Amino acid sequence: MYLRMITASLVRRRSRMLVALLAVAVGATILSGLVTIYHDIPHQMGQEFRSYGANLILVPSGEETSLSGTDVKEAVSYFPSDSVVGVAPYRYQAVKINEQPFMAAGTDLAEVRKTSPYWFVNGQWPEEPGSILVGTAVADLIRLVPGSQLTITGNDANGKVFSRDFTLSGIVQTGGKEEEFIFMSMADLEDAMGDLDVIDVVECSISASGTQLNSYVQQIEASVPAVTPRLVKRVTESEGTVLTKLQALVYLVTVVVLLLTMICVATTMMAVVTERRKEIGLKKALGASNESVTKDFLGEGLILGAFGGLLGVGLGFIFAQTVSLNVFTRPISFRLSMIPVTILISILITGLACLLPVRSAVDVDPAIVLRGE
Amino acid sequence: MFFRMMNGALLRQKGKMLMIAFTIALGASLATAMLNVMLDVGDKINQELKTYGANINVVPKEASLLDDLYGVDERSGVSNKYLQESELGRIKTIFWAFNIVDFAPFLDTKVTLNGAVENVELAGTWFSHHLDLPTGESLDTGMINMKNWWDVSGDWITDAEEDSAMVGSLLAGRHQIAPGDVISVAGKNGQKTLTVKGVFNTGSDEDELIYVPLKVAQDLADRAGLVSRVEVSALTTPDNELSRRAAQNPKSLSIKEWETWYCTAYVSAISYQIQEVITDSVAKPIRQVAESEGAILEKTQLLMVLITILSLIGAALGISNLVTASVMERSREIGLLKAVGANDFPISMLVLTEILLMGLLGGVIGYFAGLGFAQIIGHSVFGSAIDIKPMVIPLVAVLVFLVTLAGSIPSIRFLLSLRPAEVLHGR
Repeated sequence: MYLRMITASLVRRRSRMLVALLAVAVGATILSGLVTIYHDIPHQMGQEFRSYGANLILVPSGEETSLSGTDVKEAVSYFPSDSVVGVAPYRYQAVKINEQPFMAAGTDLAEVRKTSPYWFVNGQWPEEPGSILVGTAVADLIRLVPGSQLTITGNDANGKVFSRDFTLSGIVQTGGKEEEFIFMSMADLEDAMGDLDVIDVVECSISASGTQLNSYVQQIEASVPAVTPRLVKRVTESEGTVLTKLQALVYLVTVVVLLLTMICVATTMMAVVTERRKEIGLKKALGASNESVTKDFLGEGLILGAFGGLLGVGLGFIFAQTVSLNVFTRPISFRLSMIPVTILISILITGLACLLPVRSAVDVDPAIVLRGE
Repeated sequence: MFFRMMNGALLRQKGKMLMIAFTIALGASLATAMLNVMLDVGDKINQELKTYGANINVVPKEASLLDDLYGVDERSGVSNKYLQESELGRIKTIFWAFNIVDFAPFLDTKVTLNGAVENVELAGTWFSHHLDLPTGESLDTGMINMKNWWDVSGDWITDAEEDSAMVGSLLAGRHQIAPGDVISVAGKNGQKTLTVKGVFNTGSDEDELIYVPLKVAQDLADRAGLVSRVEVSALTTPDNELSRRAAQNPKSLSIKEWETWYCTAYVSAISYQIQEVITDSVAKPIRQVAESEGAILEKTQLLMVLITILSLIGAALGISNLVTASVMERSREIGLLKAVGANDFPISMLVLTEILLMGLLGGVIGYFAGLGFAQIIGHSVFGSAIDIKPMVIPLVAVLVFLVTLAGSIPSIRFLLSLRPAEVLHGR
């Protein structure tokens, strides 16, 4: 009987109830959408911040002058694999072009693209062995253009002179020291030097918060003695401050928006209930107690709240997904915990918003209301 | 007559009308706050990103690279070039002077530490330097502002303390130097005893340096009035196609494009303007900082735009919902009006004018409340006030007008379709 009354009342007043449902759904959408975004910001923005380049470097410990590949591998295994953006090993070597001294760096160029996305390469990134990148300062000095052939000479690991021909595939612009280097693949440099497995420094770009990075540093220091990890403070510190501010901003905005939509939902519900004073009067005239009238309205409110909340969860996720795809070009992860939370809050708000006007309405004398005063 | 009726309606239904005004005020305040924050978030985040340090590096034309790479200094026949310290104030006189947040000059030299360790790098700089500009303004600039992320144990030094120094953590660790110790440094031009006031940790190769006030380094290196480079931290606009073309060759632009480029705060335009005022200098944008700032700024702004749109939609729906609901309640009154002979037009005008009046009231209150919200957000998040943009006023006005209008149209159509007899009979 109770359920039939409620559903009948909802269906009979279809259009008015749709308006109320819409209000609840919009409120719930905003709640679930903004909270999802709020939770995802550190992760998504953290990825963006990786364009600043490496935030952690690995250098040899103590008296050692170089790292070995196995030590590096062991150290890198302490980072969770899904948060590693890139790990680029570097080996530096003094070489000569046309008898002029330069510094050459052997590295994994595919990883460099990930750790240093801010590099501006005029030309192509080297694809095949024997092709190299040089900094603009070097290119200006010896007048190189992409496609030039050049010969690099130097002393190999055993002190013998080597001479290798390379093709220049691109010129690097960074505004920093990199512009004075020659970059080639690790294999090319090792081939020229005649020895393997020598790494001077490893640049790691890890998508993690400051505290997480610190804990990785401690773990590596404790378990891989040959490697000293160091945080690139300039990057980690400022990333921390900016992310905290941004999250605080979205948090505050969420609270303000939520407060306002709650009030909007409440006023709409109040208006909807207030116009039904006559119905209340009729029920009372037929002998319904104040409690049962209140219960009827509450039931309607709860059903509205539940449906609105459910609708809001779906729409909110669609909104958050749109934002994420548009802003970060990455999908957002769905939070299951948002479903009960959103529905519960919408039920609570609609219930509360119904109760207030019903309370004042039930005290009315049915005779007066029915007469139309 | 019209006014008397409206006055009557407004006064009689005080409570209901106030509720509409209240809802509109809420919506308007939300719109105002979000729009103001959205328009200012770029500048605010940009300020925060300045902690990444300088984004423009000014060096002398044809500066020698050899010193950086191999520690070969001028004794081996390579002569270094310098910038004039006296010209630095001009950086604050360029077209985009207002966007220059901070700058600090550096004079790099090599010294012998404590008579034993050779080739230690020492840099003279401004820590917090007071500068009087030719334009009559004055400013304080220097390292303390630009490197506020440094982890300093001990204290920062000031420009006046010419017998103090700050030492990088790696260098200090290697030679057991702690704050309070006394070190002696010997340069090309004499020797100096310095008290270490602070040891800093930056996590970069600066940890190998000794920093002293500029004057001290100039004395030690015998380079009075000269600096070897200037780091400039400027607020910039994210790069686009035009600025990229300009960065490669400003002369390739048409006159119109050139003007647009010159008068926009692109990092390349600011660099170009710095080169114009500092003799024989090359200003290089530091891509690592400039590029990433652009990317992060764009993302933040887009994020705020989308959130703003969502909250505007929310506010609009809330307002029009309530307006619809409250107008529909008045069917009995409208029925009576129709029964005594009012036709559709005056009735619609009456209802519309009432609602729009309430909209105006709510909108004005909401606008000021929204400014308050925006300031709360600004102060609690960024610790500084949000700029109040006048362009928000028309935006909010149009929004409130359209929303209240849209909210009242369905209800007015409903009222007009009422049959007076039915309504008055109570069906």
